[in-house]
Amino acid sequence: MAIFHYTNHQNIDEAMLGFTAYCREHNLCVGLSHSLEAINVSAKCFLTDQNTLRYALKALFCTCEEEFEVFNKCFDVYWGKRKHEYAHKIKNSNSSNVTKKANASLVMMGFKPNGDEKDKEEEEDTKNVSGASRVQALKRTDFSKIGETDNRLLDEIAKQLLHQLNHRLKRKMESTKKGKIDLRKTIRRNIPKGDMLLELSRKNRKQEKFRINLLLDVSGSMDKYSFFLLKFIWSLKSHLKQIEAFVFSTKLVRITDLINEKELNQTLLNMSYHTDNWSGGTRIGECLRDFNENYAKRTLNGKSITIVLSDGLDTGEVGLLTEELRKIKMRTNKLVWLNPLKGMSGYIPEAKGMKAALSEIDQFESAHNLESLMKLENILADA
Amino acid sequence: MIPEVKELINNFEKLGYTVEEELATVFLLMLKMQKPLLLEGPPGVGKTESAHIISQYLQTDLIRLQCYEGLDVSTSIYEWNYQKQLLSIKINENSGLSANEKEEHIFGEEYLLKRPLLKAITAVDKPPVLLIDEIDRADEEFEAFLLELLSDFQITIPEMGTIKSKHRPLVILTSNRTRELSDALKRRCLYHWISYPGLEKELKIVRNKFPEINVEIATQLVTFVEKLRKLSLQKSPGIAETLDWANSMLALQTNNFDKGYIEKTLGCILKSENDIQTVKTYDIEQLLDEIKA
Repeated sequence: MAIFHYTNHQNIDEAMLGFTAYCREHNLCVGLSHSLEAINVSAKCFLTDQNTLRYALKALFCTCEEEFEVFNKCFDVYWGKRKHEYAHKIKNSNSSNVTKKANASLVMMGFKPNGDEKDKEEEEDTKNVSGASRVQALKRTDFSKIGETDNRLLDEIAKQLLHQLNHRLKRKMESTKKGKIDLRKTIRRNIPKGDMLLELSRKNRKQEKFRINLLLDVSGSMDKYSFFLLKFIWSLKSHLKQIEAFVFSTKLVRITDLINEKELNQTLLNMSYHTDNWSGGTRIGECLRDFNENYAKRTLNGKSITIVLSDGLDTGEVGLLTEELRKIKMRTNKLVWLNPLKGMSGYIPEAKGMKAALSEIDQFESAHNLESLMKLENILADA
Repeated sequence: MIPEVKELINNFEKLGYTVEEELATVFLLMLKMQKPLLLEGPPGVGKTESAHIISQYLQTDLIRLQCYEGLDVSTSIYEWNYQKQLLSIKINENSGLSANEKEEHIFGEEYLLKRPLLKAITAVDKPPVLLIDEIDRADEEFEAFLLELLSDFQITIPEMGTIKSKHRPLVILTSNRTRELSDALKRRCLYHWISYPGLEKELKIVRNKFPEINVEIATQLVTFVEKLRKLSLQKSPGIAETLDWANSMLALQTNNFDKGYIEKTLGCILKSENDIQTVKTYDIEQLLDEIKA
C-alpha cells in the first residue's frame, strides 16, 4: 500500500495532488476541480505557512462542519512530520457511526410466509369474498392478520390508493390558486387585440409545499405493524417529495435517505445495514428529545406536519415524552399520532405514555389497516 | 501566519470587525481566487456582518438578496416595468414609428427593473460584494438556478439576450443550516463554519463596539452569556445578543451586573419564554459567584 506523505513526491504540485487523493480516500468530497484549485492555492503563496495552508485547503475541501475533523487528521498525517504510521487510525466519522448489522431478518418481520400466526376466522372472512368486495374487505383487514397471498393484492391496492391520494391532494391545492395579475402574460395575450388589455392573466400562486415528518416506532410491540407502516412510508415517499422519515425504538435513526430507493426490497436491505434498533424496547421520550435536538430545527416549520406512528407503549419517563411532544408542537403546524391499536374494538388509551401524550397532540387516529391510513388524506389536505 | 493575512486582520480590526486567523485566511483566499464563499453557523455570530465589512474594506457596493420561500425570478433578477411600457405604447400610438422600432424601444434598459442579482452582474466600475443571505430559506429550485449564476456569472433575458458580468462580483452566501444545501452548490463555494466565539474574542468584540463599558462588568457579562450557551436552551444567544445586552447596560446607566438586573433584562439575550423560565430556575446568584471566582 502506498504511504501517503508529502515527502514521497518530487515537487509541490504532485504533493498537492497526492493530498487530494488522500482526502478522497477518506470520503471527503474532493473532485478534479478541487485538485486544480489546490495547486492554484499553493502557487498563490499560501504555502509559506502551515496554518494558512491548512485553513485555505479546509475551506476548499470541506462542505460541512462535520468534515472538519477528518480533514484536520488527514492534513496532520500528510503534511506532518512522518506521522503516517498512524494513518490507519483515521476514520471518517460519517461512515464509522454506521454499524453494519445484518439483521435483515428483523426488518422482514412483517413477512409471514407460512402465515402460521394468521387468525383463522379473519382468514376465512377475507378469502370467502371475491372481486370488488374482496378488495374492500382487504382494505379493512388489520395488518397483523394479513397473509402472504393477500400481501401482493394489498400492495396493488395500496399503490392505487396512493396514486389517487396524490392526485386528489394536488387537485385540492390547485383549486385554491388565485394570484396577482401577471402583466407580462397579460400583454402577451392581448397583442392580437391591439393595445387594449381585455383579458387578464393571473399569476398562479406557488404550490405550497408542506413537509411531512414521519416518526415510526419499530420496537418489539409494533412488530406486527411496523413492516406495513414502513411500506406505507416508502410508497408515500415515492409520491410526495418533501418527506422526512425516522424510525425509533431505544434510539432514533433517520431513514430519509434510505427510503429513496426505487425498489422496496433494496430499501429494506439498506435499512437492515444502517439501523440496528429493530424490535427493541421503547423509549419514545428520549428518541423525541434526540429528534428535537438534532433534526427539529431543520425539518420543522410552519408548513410541516409531524406524524408519530406508535402504539404508545413506552418504558421511558412520561414527563419527558409530554415535554418533547410540546416542543415539537410548538414548531410544527400539526402533530398527529397514529396508533394501530386504536383500530381494535374497545381500545382505550390506557398505556401511561399514550395517555399522557393525548393532551399534547392535535389528532389521534388509528393506523391498523389501509382504510385508516387513507384517512391521512384529510389530514394532509387541511394542513 | 503569512503577512497578507495579518494585514487583513488588522484592516478588519480598524473597521470594527474582529476576525480570527482562520476566517481571515478564508477571506484572503476568496479575494484571490474569486470563488464564492459559503458561511454557515448559528444565528447571530456575524455572518451577514462579515459581508458588510468586506464591502467596506474594498470600498465597493454591497448588494444584498434576502432569501425566502417562494423567491422567484421577478424578485431576484429582473422585471419589466409594465406600467411604463404600456404608457409608452399609448404615447407612441400615433407617432408613426414602425412596430419593430416600438418594440425595441419598450424593451430597452430604461424599462428594465433590476433586482439584486442583475444589479450585481451589471455593476460598472468595481466588482461589488453580493450577499445572498439565508440561502437555506429559499426553495431548492432557486438554489439550482444559482448554480448557473455562480459558475458563469451571466444572466439571460429573452428580450435582450445574455448579459455577462463586466466584473466578477464577490459572492458571500450565508446559511443557518435549517436544511442541508445541495452538494452541487457547496462544490462551487469555499466553505467556512463560524461558531460561537471564545471568551477572549467576544470580550474584544464587546469592548471594540462599546469602549465606554467597564472592563470588569464586560468580562462578567460575556462569561455569563458563555455559561448560558452551555445550558441546553432552545435558542442560544449569539454575539448580536451579547452586544444588545452590553448596550442595555449603557442605556440604563447601571454599573451593577447582579441578579436583579439580569432577571429584568433577560429578554435582551433570550428570545423564548421557555428559555427565560429555564434560566430563572437555575440559581443565578450561584452562577454569578462562579463567574466572579
